[in-house]
Amino acid sequence: MLRFLGGRLLIAIPTMLVIATLAFALLHATPGGPFDSAKVMPPAIQHSIEAKYHLDEPLWRQYLRYLNDLAHGDLGPSFQYRNTSVNELIRTGFPVDAVVGSLALATAMLVGGIVGTVAALRRNDWWDHVPMFFAVLGISIPVFVTGPLLILVFAVQLHWLPSGDWRGGEIRYLLLPVTALALPYTAYIARMVRGAAIEVFTSPFIRTARAKGLPTRVVVLRHALRPVLIPVVSFLGPAFASVLTGSIIIESVFGLPGIGRYFLTGAINRDYTLVVGITVLYGALIISFNLLADLCYGWLDPRVRLQS
Amino acid sequence: MPWVAAAVGLAAAVLAACGDPKGTSLPAAPSITVGTRLAADQTLLRALDAMPRTLDPSLLTDVDAQKVTDDLFEGLTTLGIDGAIVPGVAKSWQVSTDGKEWVFHLRPDARWSNGEPVTAADFIYAWQREVDPKTGAEYAQALAPIVGALDIATGHAPLSSLGADAPDPLTVRVALNSPTPYLLALLADSYMQPLPRATIERWGDDWTRPEHWVSNGPFVVKEEVIGDRITLAKNPSYWDAANVRPTRVIYFPVETLTQVSRFMAGDIQFSSIFPSSQFKWLRSQLGNQVVVGPYLGIQQLVVNMLGPPFGMNRDLRLALNLALDRRILAGKVREGIQEPAFSLIPPLEGYQQQVPPWATWSDERRHAEARRLYAAAGYSAAHKLRVQLDYPTGEDNRDVYDAIAAMWRTNLGAEVEPYNEEFRVLLQNLRLHKAVLFQNSWIGDYPDPFTFMQLFQTGFDQNFGGYSDPTFDGLLAQAAAEPDPARRMEFFEQAERRLNEDGVSIPVMYYASRHLVKPYVKGWQLNIQDRIVSKYMYVLEHEGR
Repeated sequence: MLRFLGGRLLIAIPTMLVIATLAFALLHATPGGPFDSAKVMPPAIQHSIEAKYHLDEPLWRQYLRYLNDLAHGDLGPSFQYRNTSVNELIRTGFPVDAVVGSLALATAMLVGGIVGTVAALRRNDWWDHVPMFFAVLGISIPVFVTGPLLILVFAVQLHWLPSGDWRGGEIRYLLLPVTALALPYTAYIARMVRGAAIEVFTSPFIRTARAKGLPTRVVVLRHALRPVLIPVVSFLGPAFASVLTGSIIIESVFGLPGIGRYFLTGAINRDYTLVVGITVLYGALIISFNLLADLCYGWLDPRVRLQS
Repeated sequence: MPWVAAAVGLAAAVLAACGDPKGTSLPAAPSITVGTRLAADQTLLRALDAMPRTLDPSLLTDVDAQKVTDDLFEGLTTLGIDGAIVPGVAKSWQVSTDGKEWVFHLRPDARWSNGEPVTAADFIYAWQREVDPKTGAEYAQALAPIVGALDIATGHAPLSSLGADAPDPLTVRVALNSPTPYLLALLADSYMQPLPRATIERWGDDWTRPEHWVSNGPFVVKEEVIGDRITLAKNPSYWDAANVRPTRVIYFPVETLTQVSRFMAGDIQFSSIFPSSQFKWLRSQLGNQVVVGPYLGIQQLVVNMLGPPFGMNRDLRLALNLALDRRILAGKVREGIQEPAFSLIPPLEGYQQQVPPWATWSDERRHAEARRLYAAAGYSAAHKLRVQLDYPTGEDNRDVYDAIAAMWRTNLGAEVEPYNEEFRVLLQNLRLHKAVLFQNSWIGDYPDPFTFMQLFQTGFDQNFGGYSDPTFDGLLAQAAAEPDPARRMEFFEQAERRLNEDGVSIPVMYYASRHLVKPYVKGWQLNIQDRIVSKYMYVLEHEGR
């Protein structure tokens, strides 16, 4: 187990290096720089701006400087927001996404898990068809439709909830974005759980459990739950990394100050450090959550043995 | 029960959204009753298109930052409720007969938010800081009319050579290279506003943080959360504080569509924009809360004069110009929000627009002439003009360019393909003169024809089409040297006629400012620079949001 962990962490270092290098190279290869605007500035002024951000140095030196800072946990100054560091932006934006994202995924797991299991138990019944119909809708209707619809109904028409904003994560401000973000994940998990559950329910060990006369509740919770969760866990690893680095659409529909929007405006404005910084963060989260998912497999499926 | 209502509401919304893409069958938002007395809470909730990159007046480059600093600082001149230039920190001024020497007298009661008096030295410091290459101010060239400014900005002269000085704490003297009638407008701009030297020198770049903030305008910064809000509070030290009613102004930097939903929910009172494609629907929902006015900007296409097919082929340029049905673009595609443009300069006080004669012709006559020119240019059904029209991604302009391509196809038989590129990619192609036919829209920096004319001046950085005409350049030079404002305008009028004859620009429409404003927010007027300051605004008692 420890050898497995250690091995994975060792591989993580070169992986992160590749991610940082690729992000750095791709961004610098994109046409246009962070201080390009329709107006052209005198060379003396341009030089002074470039010197401030070390853009006047050869690219390899900028790269080494970046890696050195990165190794010290410093993601550098933001190019688009003057006098603001990328660390600072992530420090203020990340909690927003962490709260919204984990609440949404928790909701999705709970609701999706229950709905999927019930649908599998009552296969081809109304309990199966109706939720699965909505699940298909939930997967196929994009968030940029459900988000504004929720605002239209609950904020504009009914005035029950605010139309957006963050206010330090007050519950009233969380309800709509969390719901909107949770909907597609709920639908996806429900369908996945249903599929897995049907397969598990028809497998020999469940038949054996039933044959022994165990009640359905015990069969489901004690024997079927863990194997059903295996595909969900492999889905949740990357999903968690993805929601934690911000849903750009949810953030812009509800005007949340999360890192997804920083990332988008950063890419448009060629904010090199911000975009590379968030990419590196995303990479680190994906690696961590995939590792966590792998650890969970060992717990969920006795056939899996963790070896490096 | 509320959940049932919610479910029904959601279903109704879904049905409405499916059956009717514009959603006109939706019930209108609850109506608002407006009283006549001031509301107890004088908080203004305004929106910005995007988060300002900085609030440092020397360094800012975006319109959003300028809107906020208009509330925070006050220059020698400032903006009236109608956007006109009015005295600010300067209570009076004189100008020499040749128009090159200005003397400004400061009001003695002007104060910084920390209580210190605003002096002439604060202006000189700010202007020197702006042109100092070490500051890295991207818009330093805005001070070009002042003697020495360009030499300092290009690193060829010391700061002290700037043609501005303070003979005493309440007097500012400015020396100009040539008569510059728009100087008074420049003085109200962010890069000419005074700066608190002691604060900047003490805190460095950190001086713009709310905890260190010092400014001399009606408001100060209280809170700044990137991507979320900028909160301003009334500045009690402001000389005219007695007449400033808002106690707080909150700016929310949110996307266009989000502004609409926030406005409809009552969480924003004054939007910075709305999507022009939703104009009719918004009007049906919000009535006169939807306001639209002329904006000092031209949406135009420019052709590349440095090579084929447009260089050396005036007939072809004019053919494209004449074949464009601008009234349909403005009236139908833009639903009347924007005005058709037949020449470069938007309507400006004191300037006579030079509309080409064919603008008033009947469609048939204009199309026939366009076809004649197209044929004379050497094109026909067998030999079609095939070009790409480059425009930047992000603005909701796809429909306009598709319509333009369709007009050229129908009226001439030309095959023009609209192609959108990310702004910075397009910019690079424009600088390399790679683009042949492209959008080169322009928002005036100040209300004067020159800000638009320079786009076609030889050697100007944004002359992306490479137009170079000695006659045109000569007229601009004559205008620059002319102290008489009326005669100066005449030179510009001649220059615009020259552009019309050459057909180097294909004006499409003048831009419009567009806002959603709650009926209980008063004290504002639309203006061509779309600079609507919070200072004059107030909130009336109201029921409903």
